[in-house]
Amino acid sequence: MTAEPELRELRELLAEFEPDRGHVMPALHKVQDRYGYIPKNAFDVIARQLNSSPALIYGAATFYTDFRMHEPAKTEVSWCCGPACRVLGGQLIVDAIQDELGIGFNEQTEGHAIGLHVGQCVGTCHEAPQVWVNGKVKGNLTPESARELVRELKEAAE
Amino acid sequence: MNAQLESMISAAKTAWANEQSSGRIRIRVTLDTSSLARGADETLAKLQAAAESKKLVADVGITGSWGFCWMEPCVTVRSAAGTQTILYGNITPDRVDEFIENVAAGNDMPELALGVVEGNATAEIPLLSDHPFMKGQVRRVMANIGLIDPENIDHYIAQDGYAGFGKALGMDAEAIVKEMVDSGLGGRAGGGFPAGRKWDFLRNATTSPRYLVCNADEGDPGAWVNRILMEGDPHIIIEGMLIAALAGLADEGYIYIRYEYPLALERMQKAVDQAYAKGLLGKDILGSGKDFEMVVFRGAGSYVCGEETGLINSIDGYRGMPRIKPPFPAQAGLWNKPTNVNNVESYANAPMIMRNGAHWWSSVSEAKEKGTKMFSFSGSVNWAGCVEIPFGPSIGTVIDQWCGGMREGLTLKGFQPGGPLSGVATANRSLTLTLDPYRELGMFLGGGGIVFFDQNTCVIDMCKFFLAFCEDESCGRCTTCHGGTQRAVEVMRRIQAGGGREVDLETLQTLVTTLVWSNCFHGQFAMTTIKTAMKAFPEEWQEHIYDKTCRAGVCEALARGNVDRSQVEELALAGG
Repeated sequence: MTAEPELRELRELLAEFEPDRGHVMPALHKVQDRYGYIPKNAFDVIARQLNSSPALIYGAATFYTDFRMHEPAKTEVSWCCGPACRVLGGQLIVDAIQDELGIGFNEQTEGHAIGLHVGQCVGTCHEAPQVWVNGKVKGNLTPESARELVRELKEAAE
Repeated sequence: MNAQLESMISAAKTAWANEQSSGRIRIRVTLDTSSLARGADETLAKLQAAAESKKLVADVGITGSWGFCWMEPCVTVRSAAGTQTILYGNITPDRVDEFIENVAAGNDMPELALGVVEGNATAEIPLLSDHPFMKGQVRRVMANIGLIDPENIDHYIAQDGYAGFGKALGMDAEAIVKEMVDSGLGGRAGGGFPAGRKWDFLRNATTSPRYLVCNADEGDPGAWVNRILMEGDPHIIIEGMLIAALAGLADEGYIYIRYEYPLALERMQKAVDQAYAKGLLGKDILGSGKDFEMVVFRGAGSYVCGEETGLINSIDGYRGMPRIKPPFPAQAGLWNKPTNVNNVESYANAPMIMRNGAHWWSSVSEAKEKGTKMFSFSGSVNWAGCVEIPFGPSIGTVIDQWCGGMREGLTLKGFQPGGPLSGVATANRSLTLTLDPYRELGMFLGGGGIVFFDQNTCVIDMCKFFLAFCEDESCGRCTTCHGGTQRAVEVMRRIQAGGGREVDLETLQTLVTTLVWSNCFHGQFAMTTIKTAMKAFPEEWQEHIYDKTCRAGVCEALARGNVDRSQVEELALAGG
């Protein structure tokens, strides 16, 4: 686990934001864009900057799937849970991936190497069933090709 | 029209004409989320490199999606003389070298061509308008997409962009509202509520400041029509919001874009920045004395933020929990001030209504629902794409004409319009793409996504999947919703595991009638899938619960069975 950022650095990062201007989400995004996740000590800094309370900021942040409270893995795999993927065998794909990785959703393999998440449909349904590897689509998967993909990712991570 | 705008448009038209008559070949690569999934960035880079090294004397640029998503990356090639433009599909990175050689040699490539966009058909390449996918389409909101660079405001302006806003600038708010009401434009997210009347609520509000929100949270899986618009023609949305601002006397607008659409976010932000730079946003717009600010807002992954008051809470900086209505957003929305929320496509229709008039706009549709509508089709069909059509065609036409038929070996079992809240329908090919037939079935047509499924899909599994989605995305306010969806998922899992009991149908029915007490649409309609699936596919429920079989072979704990239950006495589904 990397050390939390210094408060001074966070304050500088968040200096542009103002209270009552709809800046809670933009502030959280800015922190996550910078660190890859939202470090615990950021909530208090955001709250002070926005004249709000850490409870409200933390409450808002935890409502959303895509604000992460932990460091991301080096390789993030998201499995598309959309209906077109499902109709075309998406469940078999994720079964194969979980089996091959030995982890479930929102878990990481050892050393933050590979993480697995549920991804939402963005309408690249012509690639169904698909996953994203660090945001890049890997589509038209079969359980076999999904296993192959995961093996390659595991090898690359070593 | 406003003099500043007039000279802006004429300058843009001149620049556009000069660009078109450069005497060089013009290549436009579709660069959107769909094409990027198939390597369009690499295709573009190789084309640009070829142009730079003079291997190919051509202007290379980008454009939005033609709707041929399954054929991406799509590339248009306009001849140096400007007499012919051909649209090609499947120009994947592995094909691009050969493609470049052929373009450089002046060869057409009939095997990759989708059709001739501009000029005459050749012996081997028919007109694009004769392509089965394009037949019957009426491209109005999508008119610029494929033609212009979405990242260039002058391209938009050259197509008479912002002229609708210019016209509205010369009208009073009431007249704009009247034009919108006369057009009959209904909310494009699926509600169908007249947009003009909504704008009138805002106009008649008694406090200020007033806000506009563009709901670009397109969270229904299987729907990507708003993304196509934002990535392909972002200014049409800004112009629509500007017109709404004049009608509703609004001060500030927010475009709330889901986290999953980073490219749409980037393009919308770029477009807003360009509009500010041109004086189309901000203070004293084009010297008219009107002010309007616009903010592009990034969501963070929450389906329920697609509900307008959840979205408002999200911008306000709270958990995105839908509010209790009333008060409605028109009375108390953002920061409890009057707010109007419309879908992306609703705003996008406003510029042409202003430009061409309500009558022109509504004349295209013979159905009760006026105008054109964008739809995205996916699932067990051959083509996953996006179309713009007048309301009214049947599902059969949709599959045969715009989806290229069912995939080989698959037969249509049913389809799901809208999203996880909309319900499922049987393979009824005569159902039309209009709002009423679905309402009659207790479901919705929704925002434009339609997913087809086949005999290998288990209806019980599908219900479990949608309910699990609803459970995950429940905001937690109402016991009916967060507790009800959880209970439904438990029951569904048990049925799938072979533990189905007779009482389960009754329990699910109780949940159907209980969840309607939830505060917002999410809870009220979370059970729609199960409700409609129990009616549409009663035999599958019987098989799973009594016979412990799954005809699709999806539920692993059950035997794969295809028992013919047509002779079996039909189960009385309480209230079903």
